[in-house]
Amino acid sequence: MKKNFNVQAKQQRAGWLFLLPASILIFVMSFYPMIEAFITSFKTGSSANMVWSEPILKNYIRMFQDDLFKTSVVNTFLYLIIQVPIMLILAMLLAQLLNNKDLKFKGLFRTMVFLPCATSLVSYALIFKSLFATQGLMNTVLLKLHIISENVNWLGTASTAKAIIIIALLWRWTGYNMVFYLAGLQNIEYSVYEAAKIDGANGWKTFWGITVPLLRPTIIMTFIMSINGTLQLFDESVNLTKGGPANSTITMSHYIFNNSFGDGVANFGYASAMAFVVFIMVAILAFINLKVGDTRD
Amino acid sequence: MKKKVLSMLLVGVLAVTSLAACGSSSSDKSSGEKSAQSDDENTLTVYAWDASFNIPALEAAEAAYQEKNPDFHLEIIEQTQSSDVEDAITLAGSSGDYSQLPDIVLFQDHYIQQYVRNYPDAFQSIADADINWDDFGAEKTSFSTINGEHYGVPVDNGTVIFAYRTDLLEECGYTIDDVTGITWDQFDEIGKEVYAKTGKYLLSMDGDGNDLPYMMLQAEGVSQWKDGAPYITDNETMVEIINTIVKLQQDNVLYLANDWSDYTDQTIVGDMVAGVMNGNWIIPTIEKVEENSGKWEITSMPTLSGEEGYASNGGSSLYITGNCTKTDLAKDFLAYTFGGGEGSIATYDNALKDGGVITTCISAGESDVYNEGVAYFNDQAIYAKIVEMGSHVPVVEQSDFHYDCRTQIASAIQSITAGEADTATALETAESQLQQVIDGAAQ
Repeated sequence: MKKNFNVQAKQQRAGWLFLLPASILIFVMSFYPMIEAFITSFKTGSSANMVWSEPILKNYIRMFQDDLFKTSVVNTFLYLIIQVPIMLILAMLLAQLLNNKDLKFKGLFRTMVFLPCATSLVSYALIFKSLFATQGLMNTVLLKLHIISENVNWLGTASTAKAIIIIALLWRWTGYNMVFYLAGLQNIEYSVYEAAKIDGANGWKTFWGITVPLLRPTIIMTFIMSINGTLQLFDESVNLTKGGPANSTITMSHYIFNNSFGDGVANFGYASAMAFVVFIMVAILAFINLKVGDTRD
Repeated sequence: MKKKVLSMLLVGVLAVTSLAACGSSSSDKSSGEKSAQSDDENTLTVYAWDASFNIPALEAAEAAYQEKNPDFHLEIIEQTQSSDVEDAITLAGSSGDYSQLPDIVLFQDHYIQQYVRNYPDAFQSIADADINWDDFGAEKTSFSTINGEHYGVPVDNGTVIFAYRTDLLEECGYTIDDVTGITWDQFDEIGKEVYAKTGKYLLSMDGDGNDLPYMMLQAEGVSQWKDGAPYITDNETMVEIINTIVKLQQDNVLYLANDWSDYTDQTIVGDMVAGVMNGNWIIPTIEKVEENSGKWEITSMPTLSGEEGYASNGGSSLYITGNCTKTDLAKDFLAYTFGGGEGSIATYDNALKDGGVITTCISAGESDVYNEGVAYFNDQAIYAKIVEMGSHVPVVEQSDFHYDCRTQIASAIQSITAGEADTATALETAESQLQQVIDGAAQ
């Protein structure tokens, strides 16, 4: 009995030892900066000599009076609400199609759908930018097809610029989520589908009755990841539209960046405060998501 | 067995690469320290950007100073863009460690006041250098003078030129004199005609980083600032100028590009325009279209009243950093070359020849090189003209928040032209947004 305990203690010690390097790294590289950033969010002034703000919540109060910050929140949630559901449903349908056993060139199709994820965020944004430029390919094609009568300034008009950001996001991330669904689908026994077929369920019914419930954990994971990713959306806003025209497409992360490094402002206090608000938003949304998705009572 | 060998190999590769990474990073660091500061007492280091503009000017200055001190060496550390220098100062200032900075930095005029105030230890005053400050355009030195003390030596000249395609003007029955000293309304009429007959816009600008309001306002002798506060909604001249810009845009006289590269590549190099108005550093961009050589000429800006307008936009100066220990050498070098000393003619002549850098130093601008005609501009002596125009630029109140203001005004113009807001509301939004930025930065 005593010996057994010793082995367990030994194993535990070994476990902690293995965990230690990674834990220390996370603390030093991740948690310590977070604490520092939290302290910074109560400070103001140039980064050479930051002082406690007066009142102490000045940066947080400013946020609620800042129209541009509100715009950035509205924009980010607009992208989130429109893009995430479309993307996840598309990804699920694609995964369903590509999971078909009888499909030929499956590998080729899977690679093609996943390929956008292999491109860098900046380069794909720049490619979209040139596609939708006033003298770009899209305008030329649409003009030739007589769908539009004159060149549209896609990225220079607020509504179309937002639409293009959403289209770009869909193009970039659908394949990424599809891979998770594919992996989830492989874990569903074919016999379950067979049984459903025998019972007379059609494709639509099996999809909603079997695939979706069995994929639930994957769906929740992709949802959380997508929400998190969209709330921190940065590259597309910066590279496609620079937040313009007139800051109408700016995202929260982009505005945070502008406050720390753009226009020589270097207002790290305000930027940290906003970053913490975004952090809280992500935490709340992820929590709701987990609660909704939790089937254990 | 095979697997074991493979995994051992992988571990080995990993270990070696991580060691190599450590090794190279430490050696990088030591070489980095060396390049930002030199042990040699006759060597100065400088951060600068733009290999076709500022760097030839610095090389010209090095050569000129070697006449006086043959052992002198200027180590130019090229930066990709001006913001790299700003980031270097921000980094040094935030960490409190200035030891990585070079002896001298080239710095954008509109940013320097803010940086000297935010990071006072990053720069050294050069008030006691042997420089006759009256020999420079007053507008230029107003940027580098902080709390009455001189910090920087001017390099280039941001005097605004208005370049016109004389061949296209002629098609519509106008000469360069017909567009000199006109009102913006007259300009609008001519522009409409030019667009109708030739399909080209008479003016273009980057609608995102829109410099038009600032330049047009300065030509009127008015600032966007009054006693340090934004002067926008109550500023009648400002409102009038914004309305003018919107009207020009609606009349197809002005084209507002989506961003800077669209402005240069699409509108100017893409030959969409019959006129270009900006700081004279835009000239190399105009000259990229070789087939239009000889068809351009430059003149002053239109104004609201119809007098000839003069303004300045952009440009930079050289500053001695707080990390420089060879301050006497640095001051002497700057005074002798860019500061109007004995080597200034040699410096500025070669800077002009090799980089097209035009001086604000009045005595150096009288050199023969400046009076030579430039073939691209129909043999007009544009450099002498620019120096002359530069002397008329009115000094207007500047602010630490110049670019924030530019961003807000540009947004206002975009929302007016998109029909989302009227001038009054758009400017009100801009002003309150700007005030928030200022309040937020206050301690």
